[in-house]
Amino acid sequence: MRIRRLAGLALLAVALTLVAGADAAPPKDAMVIGLLAEPVTMDPPQITDLNSARITKRIFEGLVAQEVGSYKLVPGLASSWDISKDGLTYTFKLRQGVKFHDGTAFNAEAVRFCFERQLNDKSPFYATGTYPYVKSFLGNVAGVEVIDPYTLQIKLKAQLAPFLQYLAHQSLFVYSPEALKKWGKDVVKHPVGTGPFKLETWEPGVKVVLARNDQYWGGAPKIRQAIYVPIIEAQARLAAIKTGEIDLTMDVPPDSLDGLRKDPNVVVAESNSSAAWYIALNTRHPVLKDRRVRQALNYAVNKDAIIRDILKGTAIVSHGPLSPVYGPYHEENVQKYPYDLEKARALLKEAGHAGGFELTFLVPESGSGMQSPVEMATVIQANLAAVGVRAKIQTLEWGAYLKKYLEGPDMAEMSWNPSIGDPDHMMYMLLSSDRFPPAFNAGFYQNDKVDDLLRKGRTTTDEKARVPLYREAQKAIVEDAPWIFVDHGKQVIVHRKRVQGFKLHPNFDLVLTQVWLQ
Amino acid sequence: MAAVGGGGLQGYIVRRLLLAVPVLFGVSLLVFAVMHLAPGDPAAIMLGAQATREDVARLHRELGLDRPLPVQYARWLGRVLQGDLGRSIPLGREVLPEVLTRFKATLILTGGALLVAVAIGVPAGIVSATRQYSWLDRLSMAIAVTGVSLPVFWTGIMLIIVFALTLRWLPSAGMYAPYGGGDFADLVWHLVLPAVTLGTASAAALARMTRSSVLEIVRQDFVRSARAKGLAERAVVGRHVLKNAVNPVVTVLGIQVGTLLGGAILTETVFSWPGLGSMMVRAIQARDYPLVQGGVLLIATTFVCVNLLVDLLYAVFDPRIRYE
Repeated sequence: MRIRRLAGLALLAVALTLVAGADAAPPKDAMVIGLLAEPVTMDPPQITDLNSARITKRIFEGLVAQEVGSYKLVPGLASSWDISKDGLTYTFKLRQGVKFHDGTAFNAEAVRFCFERQLNDKSPFYATGTYPYVKSFLGNVAGVEVIDPYTLQIKLKAQLAPFLQYLAHQSLFVYSPEALKKWGKDVVKHPVGTGPFKLETWEPGVKVVLARNDQYWGGAPKIRQAIYVPIIEAQARLAAIKTGEIDLTMDVPPDSLDGLRKDPNVVVAESNSSAAWYIALNTRHPVLKDRRVRQALNYAVNKDAIIRDILKGTAIVSHGPLSPVYGPYHEENVQKYPYDLEKARALLKEAGHAGGFELTFLVPESGSGMQSPVEMATVIQANLAAVGVRAKIQTLEWGAYLKKYLEGPDMAEMSWNPSIGDPDHMMYMLLSSDRFPPAFNAGFYQNDKVDDLLRKGRTTTDEKARVPLYREAQKAIVEDAPWIFVDHGKQVIVHRKRVQGFKLHPNFDLVLTQVWLQ
Repeated sequence: MAAVGGGGLQGYIVRRLLLAVPVLFGVSLLVFAVMHLAPGDPAAIMLGAQATREDVARLHRELGLDRPLPVQYARWLGRVLQGDLGRSIPLGREVLPEVLTRFKATLILTGGALLVAVAIGVPAGIVSATRQYSWLDRLSMAIAVTGVSLPVFWTGIMLIIVFALTLRWLPSAGMYAPYGGGDFADLVWHLVLPAVTLGTASAAALARMTRSSVLEIVRQDFVRSARAKGLAERAVVGRHVLKNAVNPVVTVLGIQVGTLLGGAILTETVFSWPGLGSMMVRAIQARDYPLVQGGVLLIATTFVCVNLLVDLLYAVFDPRIRYE
């Protein structure tokens, strides 16, 4: 019968395509990276998400850069800089002979143009985008002046220690003014920078292909292409890395890590990150306003069990807001809260709550950096019940959660991995009384001494003088226990053996300049 | 559907399309209301912990979110009537080209799933009906009930674990290979798992409808006559029964297109298929109002068109039906 013959042919065709498809092997000089989602935008000042940053930081650069693998600042597009005695004037010497990917020249005027676009709402290019962080990062800038083609001066209104770190953040990266003039609002999909890679193609939802910039001032990268594909589902990422369809990925199911570590074809790279996972406690709550109660909750939660059984070892116990990644700023010698039910009960009794009490516990279903929020909440709920604290879990979708989070919940999960490598960006942003909601000090934590230390910290430019300020603030904060300190998530990157020279960066960036393929 | 006044087929189509306008208006109003009444704020979601009061307020102003809701809706509708669906909030890209590109991928997936549904569902239904109460009937109906009940994300992940992770026959994600590929064979290779995932539930629904529809026809007099005049069973079923059983099946097929477009949202997320569904999930999470509204409007328009097409197909299969 004709139908049968047709069906047979169709089957044969399908079988042939399967065989043909299964043959596709990764090219020798191109690296395929499986991201959790595709980038949102490629216009540096408009980026707010990690996936966009992971790609666009290959295309663009700032005046200042972070050393690969640490927060240490090194020269970027500025070869050197000088800060005036009063800490208000920054003078940058720019690299000469650097060209944007469109062939136009990089110079002081280009930098001024980029800052001006965000700062001056009367500039004709202001309307080419929305700049989510302009007040955060440029709010303190009094003026940007071109001294000569390769000298730029930035004046601040007040001293601000993290300012150099801000210049290493993508929102202050430098792009080609000519490209912006050409594309207008559509610059979001036409990135033109000075970086080691340039955009070759972007097929929305399918892939982003970056090609090596052979004219890169810092020496061309070793790989010819970096191909980014979005793989939303964790099991699918796992399958793709195991079969070699992709070369590098992250956030595979924690259960699969043991198997991957034994797989001879892949490498599991891990390192501590600057992320903190905590539960914000409402310090204005009638019961939680007592510090002893908040300390008791810290003693009651079994962090080791959470890290061992739920996170499968992909985190370390948190003893305060700053993870050890912050180097000299990290204070080890703080009050510790080991899992100790006796101590928790004693503190509750002392505070007059031996009979326990009830709290609403806000939990997101999922969310950026939130690890396993629901499972972790369930364990924490059981832990608290053991000392008589009845936490009623309320689960919400991430968007709705963020809104509720800033409306003064009793206790609520949160995680943050700052994109700025300065302790200010963790401690001031989350724990200063200047940052009550709608900013992110959701528990209304207020300690005048801490406030004072953190304000001093952000206006002291001398690093040696800054370190003791933050270390002292950490001691006071941990003793006050405005959060339940739970864990600092590790970065876990899985890559194929052929990927060489890959280094993890504390803020989850994927730097490719030094990577080569075997 | 038979008597809809004068004007012939063309007039009927025009009237049906005009009737679609209030439907689409209602859909747009509903989506706008639901999206804006759901708690959440695109500015807060974008900014996260780094937010300052000033930056949140500025974003609200620039995105027009500080205005009363009716004003926001009227402004959006006004622009839509001029063919401008606006720009996505976080993407900064125009909504119309964005949803159209994504929609192509969704249509490919839906088409593939429909093919799977028909290829499995219809034969299974016929076999079940012609061998009613046999073990084959019971088995295929048991499979059908299971198929309808399984959530697509579960089926999808299971298929990934079996065919991508364990057997390594098929890719686990995307529409094309990241390197090389890009041709039709590559597309088919990537389409197999998502299409099977999405098509399974519809195949089951289709099998059940085909079965009952065929059973109803088989019992009629003209079938007995056909058998009586000595036609082979194959000819009876093929030439007489199926022709008459096809209309209810086409109706279910039309409804299934809607189900598939909805189911595509989950399937696309599981397989990272670059369609409208996976895009909508992200847009909803980000409270990207313009993109969600544009996407839903496109899906609703498609659904209206498919329904019209189904009604027109009745006349093709059943000469008794005329649109006048």
